[in-house]
Amino acid sequence: MRISSIAYLTGRGFQNIWNNRIMSVASFCILTVSMLLVGFSVLFTENINTFIGNVEEKNEVVIFLNDNLTDDDISIMGDRLRQMDNIKSVEFYSKDQAFEDMKAGMDNAEELFDYIGDESPLPDAYRLKVADISRMSSTLMSINSLQGIYSVKAPTDFVSVLTGLRSLVYILSGIIIIALIVVSIVIISNAARASVDMRKREIAIMKYVGATNTFIEVPFFIEGMIMGIFAGTAAILLTWAGYVKIIDVLMSDSTIWLAMGIKGFIPFSKVALRMAIVYITAGAVVGSFGTLLSTKKYVKV
Amino acid sequence: MVELRNVSVTYSNGVRALNNVSLTINDGDFVFLVGKSGAGKSTLIKLLIKEISPTSGSVAVNGYELNKIRANEIPKLRRTIGYVFQDFKLIDNMSVYDNVAFVLRSIDAPVKYIRRRVAYVLGLVGLKDKAKVHPNELSGGEQQRVAIARALVNDPKLIIADEPTGNLDPKTTIEIIELLQGINKCDTTVLMVTHEHDLVRRFGGRIISIYEGQVNFDDVI
Repeated sequence: MRISSIAYLTGRGFQNIWNNRIMSVASFCILTVSMLLVGFSVLFTENINTFIGNVEEKNEVVIFLNDNLTDDDISIMGDRLRQMDNIKSVEFYSKDQAFEDMKAGMDNAEELFDYIGDESPLPDAYRLKVADISRMSSTLMSINSLQGIYSVKAPTDFVSVLTGLRSLVYILSGIIIIALIVVSIVIISNAARASVDMRKREIAIMKYVGATNTFIEVPFFIEGMIMGIFAGTAAILLTWAGYVKIIDVLMSDSTIWLAMGIKGFIPFSKVALRMAIVYITAGAVVGSFGTLLSTKKYVKV
Repeated sequence: MVELRNVSVTYSNGVRALNNVSLTINDGDFVFLVGKSGAGKSTLIKLLIKEISPTSGSVAVNGYELNKIRANEIPKLRRTIGYVFQDFKLIDNMSVYDNVAFVLRSIDAPVKYIRRRVAYVLGLVGLKDKAKVHPNELSGGEQQRVAIARALVNDPKLIIADEPTGNLDPKTTIEIIELLQGINKCDTTVLMVTHEHDLVRRFGGRIISIYEGQVNFDDVI
């Protein structure tokens, strides 16, 4: 195809937007709103996942060791724990340190500590953090298989609640996002069909004078793509403005979130580039192919 | 050249629009195709531009066997045919120039050739000074001239004019037919569909009459 023809067809694409400006504005709004809904749902899900992740980080398994272990035994056990799968961090917590912390945490108990004496009555311990709490039970089984353990304290109830909550969020958000995408595609294809329907006469004339399907479809494809890119750009700007505003309002009293173990929301800058690429690409693809598919039935003259 | 051999067309609703029609239109002919509404004229035209296929029989137009033609060859067939509609079928949001030029653009013709050729055909139909005007700013006769220019611009072998004067006053009607006759003198075959018998009697020539799906008259008067 000649460069002049490509330039002409591209120009027709732009011209079509202006010539059919009412339908263009309608398609633009529908595309933008659809992307906004999907985008905000994804952001909501991502934030919920981050919150759960924040809470997960608070998980701690404490392994109390037998009193008769030597320093070498304790060190070997530490190495074994570090080599285990799904262990994120291992920290030794000596019985002396534990006793000091206990004293510091109990005011007005001098008499009790005088009675106990200077030697710590507490056991040595390891404090662990697991990488994936959903695999907590198998990790605990591995830990319990080690020799020299007096007891293991793990937040198993807390883990099962969190794991259940995360699954629920995944399923619900997945359903909502898929439903929104399906609804968006239906609405967008209807808008594209209505837009093309208004120009079926024009398409029929082109067919009668011997225009190829490509010649007819390319301007529609370009028109849809341009609309999609505009809508994607508008959607990312609106998402940015809306998200920042919502975060500002929610974080006006951050103590509530901190009390819940939530450090903060995902900053928009962290997802901006990814979202912009997805929005604009999705807009261009849905816009161009949605319009193109709608022209198909009219080019069969 | 147009050749129909034992062509019948039966629509899905059971209506038999054409019944065993055979006819030949040679290159350079000027033919009036006449008949009442529902006689089968439109069906015959649809066959020639491959909008429909015959139920039986064979159709050949400008060297294309339409029974065997592939889908990607249909645009090529249509470029050998100039089609003039009763209601002009111009694209309102395009200028007169663009309405004519897009036929050549659709075949990827060079820009310089498009400029030269469009100016030439607009001159032929007497509308060179209206190139930048939009169709809705023109009279009915002028719009039909644009449609004829569009049909001519690709230098077709055959022009099918489907009731081209149906929406025009008598004076403009005569102008349009004279224009088509002028085009025919340059060896372009013209098939003009009409139900205006006065017009046929006035201009004469070869007449094909269709009645209830069959050719009941084919002669020169």
